[in-house]
Amino acid sequence: MNVGLLYSRIRKDEKLLLSELRERGHDVEKIDVRKQRFNLAEAPEAFADLDIVVDRCLATSRSLYATQFCEAYGVPVVNSHETAEICSDKVKNSLALEAAGVPTPNTDVAFTTEAALESIEEFGYPCVLKPVIGSWGRLMAKIDSRDAAEAILEHKATLGHYEHKVFYVQEFVEKPGRDIRVLAVDGEPIAAMARSSDHWLTNAAKGAETEPFELDARAEELVQQASDAVGGGLLGVDLMEAGDDYTVHEVNHTVEFKALDGAVETDIAGTVVDWLEQKVDAESLEVTA
Amino acid sequence: MTECVECGADVTLHDDLEVGEIVDCTTCGAELEVVDTEPPVLERAPELEEDWGE
Repeated sequence: MNVGLLYSRIRKDEKLLLSELRERGHDVEKIDVRKQRFNLAEAPEAFADLDIVVDRCLATSRSLYATQFCEAYGVPVVNSHETAEICSDKVKNSLALEAAGVPTPNTDVAFTTEAALESIEEFGYPCVLKPVIGSWGRLMAKIDSRDAAEAILEHKATLGHYEHKVFYVQEFVEKPGRDIRVLAVDGEPIAAMARSSDHWLTNAAKGAETEPFELDARAEELVQQASDAVGGGLLGVDLMEAGDDYTVHEVNHTVEFKALDGAVETDIAGTVVDWLEQKVDAESLEVTA
Repeated sequence: MTECVECGADVTLHDDLEVGEIVDCTTCGAELEVVDTEPPVLERAPELEEDWGE
C-alpha cells in the first residue's frame, strides 16, 4: 500500500512506524506539513495516489486542518478529522465521554475568573485546572487553596491567549499513584501500561515509571466505549483507578507509544501496521463494491 | 559525523537517520533537526509550541 505520513517532527514513534512499513514493502510518502500548501480544491502533489494518510502532526492546530483537508481531497486519513476535533480539545473530549456514559471526572467549564473560582470552591481543595488544548501534562495546576486559585486564574486571564480564558476545572481524582495508558485501534486494546510517579502528574513525558498493565474486562469495555465516543481510530485512552471502577480522563488522537513500546512485549508498530493494512483493504473493497 | 550549527562541535549521528528527526548536541545541548541525510545537514530545531503533543 501507499502510505502518507503527516509530520513535522519524526519522533521515535514515527521511526518505529516508518521502519515497520518499509520492512513490509509498503511505499511511504513522508509529508512534512510545514512545506505543504493546502489548496481548497486541488490536493498537493504529495497526496496523489495515497491509499491512506496517517496523521502524526505534532502540532494540534496543524493536525486539525491537515486531516480536514485530507477528507476534502477524498484521501482516507487516520485518525479522522472528527476524532482529532474531539480529542484535541479537553472540553469536547469530556463532553463526548459523558454523552457516551463513560465514567469521567466531574468537570466544570467557566468563562470568567469569578465563575471559575465558584467552581473551584464548589469542588473543594485540591481540584485541578487544565488548559483546554495541550499535552504532556503541561500547564496543569493542582489547586490546594483559594489563594493559589486566585493567583492561577489571574495569571491565566492576564497572560494567556484566549483559550486560557476558557477555564476547565476538574475534580481531583485520588488515584493510587498511577494511571493507565491503553493503546487501542478502533477500541481494540493493543497494549496497556501503568504510569507511576510520586508526583500527582503521571505522564510518561513527565518522567513517570512505566510497567505493563493487564486490562480486566471492565477496562476493555471502557476503552471500547471511549474509542467509539470520539469516533475511533488509533488512540491512547487514559484511565485512572477510582474505587471499584475506572474513570477515563482523556483520549489522545496522535498518540505517542514509544514509552509503551519500551514497557511491553507486544510488537506495537507491527500491530498498528496490521490495522492500517486492514483499513486499506476495507477501503478498496468498498470502492470495488 | 557532522557539525553542530550552534556550537560547532562534532555531532555523532546514527545510521538510520530520518529527515525530520531531532538529535541533541552532546556538547552544548542544542536540539538539532535533521533536514537532509545524504549528506547529513542539521539546523536548529524549532522551539516547543504550546499546542504540541499527542
